Amino acid sequence: MIFFQGKKSRVIEYLFTIWVIFTLNFFLPRTMPGDPFLFISADEEGEEVAQFSEEQRNYYMAYYGLDRPLYSQYFSYFSDLSKGYLGYSLYYNQPVTIILLHRLPWTLCLVMTAVILSTVIGIVLGGFCAVYADRWEDRLLYFMLIAISEIPAFLVGLVLLFFFAAGMGLFPLSGAMTHFSGYDGFMEKTGDILHHAALPVIALTLTRISGIFLLTRSSIITVLTKTYIKTARAKGISGQRIFIKHIFRNAMLPIVTRVFLSLGSLVGGAILVENVFAYPGLGKLMRDAVMMHDYPLIQGIFLMVTISVLSANFIADLVYKKLDPRISDAAAADGH
Amino acid sequence: MLEIKDLTVTYHTNTSLVCAVNNVSFSVKKGESVGIMGESGCGKTTLAMAVMGLIQDADISGKILFNNDNLLAIPEKKLNQYRWKKIAIVFQNSLEVFNPVLTIGEQIIEPMRTHAALSLKKADIRMRYLLELTGLDPEWANGYPHQMSGGMRQRALIAMAISCDPKFLIIDEPTTSLDPESRDSILRLIKELQKRIGFSLIMISHNLSALREMTSTVMTMCCGQIVEQGITADVMRNPMHCYTRGLIDASPDFFKYKDLWGIRGTIPQNTQSNGCAFYSRCCQAGENCKNQRPILQYVSVERKVACHKGGIETLLEVYGIQKTYLLKDRKIPAVKDVDLNIKSGEIVALIGKSGSGKSSLAHILVNLLSPDKGEIFFMGKKVKGFKVTKKIGGMQIVFQDPFSSTSHRMRVLDVVNEPLDIMKWKTAEERNIKSMAAISMAGLPCSDDFLQRYAHTLSGGQRQRLSMARALVTGPRLLIADEVTSMLDPSSSANLLRELKGLQNIHGFSMLYITHDFHLARKVANRAYVMSEGRIVESGPSFEIFERPVHPVTISLMNSSFSKKEQKKRKKG
Amino acid sequence: MMMPGKYLTFINRFSKTGQTGLIIVGIVFFMAIFAPLISVHSHKLSSGPPLSSPNGEHILGTDELGVDLWAQICFGSRISLVIGMGTALLAGSCGGLIGVLAAYSGGMTDRILMRIIDIITVLPDLPVMIVLAAFFGPGLINIIIVLSLFSWVATARIVRSQVLQLKEQLYIKSAETYGAGTWYLMKRHFLPEIFPLVAVSMIRLTGKAIVAEAGLSFLGLGDPASGSWGLIIHHATSFTGIYYTNFWKWWLIAPWIALTLMVSSLAFISRDFERFADPRMDRRKNRYQKQ
Repeated sequence: MIFFQGKKSRVIEYLFTIWVIFTLNFFLPRTMPGDPFLFISADEEGEEVAQFSEEQRNYYMAYYGLDRPLYSQYFSYFSDLSKGYLGYSLYYNQPVTIILLHRLPWTLCLVMTAVILSTVIGIVLGGFCAVYADRWEDRLLYFMLIAISEIPAFLVGLVLLFFFAAGMGLFPLSGAMTHFSGYDGFMEKTGDILHHAALPVIALTLTRISGIFLLTRSSIITVLTKTYIKTARAKGISGQRIFIKHIFRNAMLPIVTRVFLSLGSLVGGAILVENVFAYPGLGKLMRDAVMMHDYPLIQGIFLMVTISVLSANFIADLVYKKLDPRISDAAAADGH
Repeated sequence: MLEIKDLTVTYHTNTSLVCAVNNVSFSVKKGESVGIMGESGCGKTTLAMAVMGLIQDADISGKILFNNDNLLAIPEKKLNQYRWKKIAIVFQNSLEVFNPVLTIGEQIIEPMRTHAALSLKKADIRMRYLLELTGLDPEWANGYPHQMSGGMRQRALIAMAISCDPKFLIIDEPTTSLDPESRDSILRLIKELQKRIGFSLIMISHNLSALREMTSTVMTMCCGQIVEQGITADVMRNPMHCYTRGLIDASPDFFKYKDLWGIRGTIPQNTQSNGCAFYSRCCQAGENCKNQRPILQYVSVERKVACHKGGIETLLEVYGIQKTYLLKDRKIPAVKDVDLNIKSGEIVALIGKSGSGKSSLAHILVNLLSPDKGEIFFMGKKVKGFKVTKKIGGMQIVFQDPFSSTSHRMRVLDVVNEPLDIMKWKTAEERNIKSMAAISMAGLPCSDDFLQRYAHTLSGGQRQRLSMARALVTGPRLLIADEVTSMLDPSSSANLLRELKGLQNIHGFSMLYITHDFHLARKVANRAYVMSEGRIVESGPSFEIFERPVHPVTISLMNSSFSKKEQKKRKKG
Repeated sequence: MMMPGKYLTFINRFSKTGQTGLIIVGIVFFMAIFAPLISVHSHKLSSGPPLSSPNGEHILGTDELGVDLWAQICFGSRISLVIGMGTALLAGSCGGLIGVLAAYSGGMTDRILMRIIDIITVLPDLPVMIVLAAFFGPGLINIIIVLSLFSWVATARIVRSQVLQLKEQLYIKSAETYGAGTWYLMKRHFLPEIFPLVAVSMIRLTGKAIVAEAGLSFLGLGDPASGSWGLIIHHATSFTGIYYTNFWKWWLIAPWIALTLMVSSLAFISRDFERFADPRMDRRKNRYQKQ
């Protein structure tokens, strides 16, 4: 915002950030302390100990090109990236890109559903409480949501898992679909998927609602005090129109930013929640990759996740500019 | 057309009730323009909001009749049929008065679509027409509020207000934060529109000259109550409530030369008291003002005032004073048929050349000279002997010559104590305390050392202050200051005069300021009398007499007050 | 030295939830400091039958190796506090300093710092932490550093905007016209305004860091020797067959409650602190300003 101005510069800014992330990603394995490929897992469980065989070691040396000069490594890294090649996972015996594309939909599904649900519920509850501010309904909701908001999603997930899945058996314990079951039709398949996704989505949604709720509530309360609401009421236009065009339209502005900007932490929550429910998304994959010391895979996930979150932020910027005419003018005025 | 009866609006805060509008009644006829003036927080805007039905979280009682429909009894939804279509409002201009995310055009169209049921296309055409009518480029239809300047926004607000041809328009502070030029053009615009559309108008403003230009009748609001109501021109020229006068006095638009002094004190926090709203700040407050609320009632034709004293009291009335000195068979007329009055809390200047009879008149007023003819009334009672000068809260005089007016053989404290001693006021102890208060009020030190000094050791300025202290110690209602500064150097004179005016503002006494100095008179006076050869030749409020003098004597006084160079400049300017 | 009465009035300013939070955090501190005294059994060695339910001997039961869970919770609180406070101090102080530096120096320094802050802000923190933890290996210090690396930006951003806003305040400008130097302004005007903000964000950071550590530990990326609450949960959930037995009722719930209470308490405290730091945020007062 300060470095460059105007619409184009915002794009440049994002490109710059992406470049930083790529470069960070490039240097990560190269700055590891000691010899990374002699790494011996410290996992005391001993379940997934991964010691590198000579063959693996040689592969990594070749993949990262550690015997070549740094600039040439850097160059080939980018040329690989431009081809969409993120390396090869030895553990899964598949190109990283393919594994990612295979797992991405599950995570995307969880995250999107949680975003939509939490936003809608949060706005509805927040709007309700703003209109009935300081009544007992408002105070009760306010207290409950604040209490829930602070519990991290994976802890909520654990409770759900043990009460509703393990305890009552209402939901499956793990996975995204029932294994080895031939589905009788599309409906049954969808039902099964929804059944599996329900608890993770609830866990993520529950922890996101309060943020949206509090913001909506305070935002609407603030807007209600503005003079233009008085103007609108004086004009004698219908209450519905006042709510949509004047109150909601303005109260939406901070909510939109919040929804998009909180995607980053939502992804973090999703990674943990997927592991709680052994849900086969990127989060579960990431943990497995870390356990297996599958470095190319870790890096691939890292890139995928960061770039997605960045894109979401970029979209937020564009949307916000559309919604609030003051922003683009301010930028133009600064940039002259 | 609009009739408001006993309207009361009470807000609840966490600790107390705040009565923002208190028992207000008035009516506005078709096509009439009514102004409401008052300090910020006096309830003007709340009144407007109440008429629009925009008050929430408050108790409202009374009636707001619009063509005999009580708006307060109409449910919110039905009220929308009145809003904008019949009664529209131009809100006080601010960035937030428009919705920041909608274009100006959209917001102007909004009420037309609802009330006139115009198609989008027709509404758009009319909106552009309205923008042009109010002097804006129709291109602004696509602009956003934050892109406009304050003056443009004011025009857009007006365009929006008249979009449904309202029968009634309320305008809240249309001129705040506008430069004089845009201010004038906005006022002209409102006038033109009123002629064209014919709406009735309530204009709320603390800018009195704008009200004078725009309205035919005017009301003064103080702490939610209407304290004065009358024809605008009359009220401005001759306010009859102390509050209205205070507002006018504080307007540089009216008093271009006078030093600025606001109404003393601040708006009282506790408006729940039963007494007069202006009680704590009034210069003529009495006992019943504290506990009993005055009713707004007629005091003369077309003028209503809410005051137990029937408006600003007249302290001193003087009729037909004549005085002729006899000097060895020769008759020298000094004062010829002088009428004069002084109201409570005002400073009246008596201007005239030396020998015009001003000092004789002053001496007659305090009975040092007895008039050949004529009568003097102080607070409604005829003055006999020294009745009014020998009492607490009466009339006192400060003379021109500080050296002869205080005895050089007396000590400072004794000088000031003298009147109290003579009146045998309370105990010696209490007299000393009161005198010391008066001495420090007059700007003199109150150390023991100073109090015991002899008057002859003081400078001219200090002695003049001493005689002021002596006059003030009796807490006079009227102080006659006879050329009090003429024997002092400019700096002492300026200090003394400012302090005198400050004391007057705090204590609220009236003052007859006698001077030959046109400039000094302009700095302090609310009203002025011009005296020449024993006659009062011209009188009036200072914004008339000092700006548009009529009588040749006044004109020549004014001209001689300006040096020739200045006169040339003035002519050129 | 504050008088006890002063403490009381200070505590009275907290809301009920805030006071509850203070008590809980106080208890956790107590547990952490006196862990060896209040737990009879070892927190590392087996001291009873494995997987026994809560009883007189083991008030919270034991895990699969027969280690007393109460002892583990007590000692685990040390880890949570060290991680939380370590991160808060490191990130809070660095963030505060960088914020002041950016705002005060302005120009190129400000631009570069803001760019860095922007980049770190848009990065999703947990994935990056996982990657860093994976590459640099687990360990308390590493975790604190990794957490701090992501946490300072929020503080820096808040402090910067506050200083920028303060710089424009007329009372600062008028102090400058009286000849006030940078040191005086810092001491008299900036620090008193900034300190509450940094304090609030430090409390927030403590909670965030504890959660993040728990998350990393839960994934098995924490320091395996630490024995933090997150790690207990990790062990419990990795135990084969946990779902089909009753073990979770004590093994999992104890650390779960400890974590939840701690994090919620910190949040409530910081909510109250925010109100002290900025009276305008008092939601009840806001209602009255409306009129």
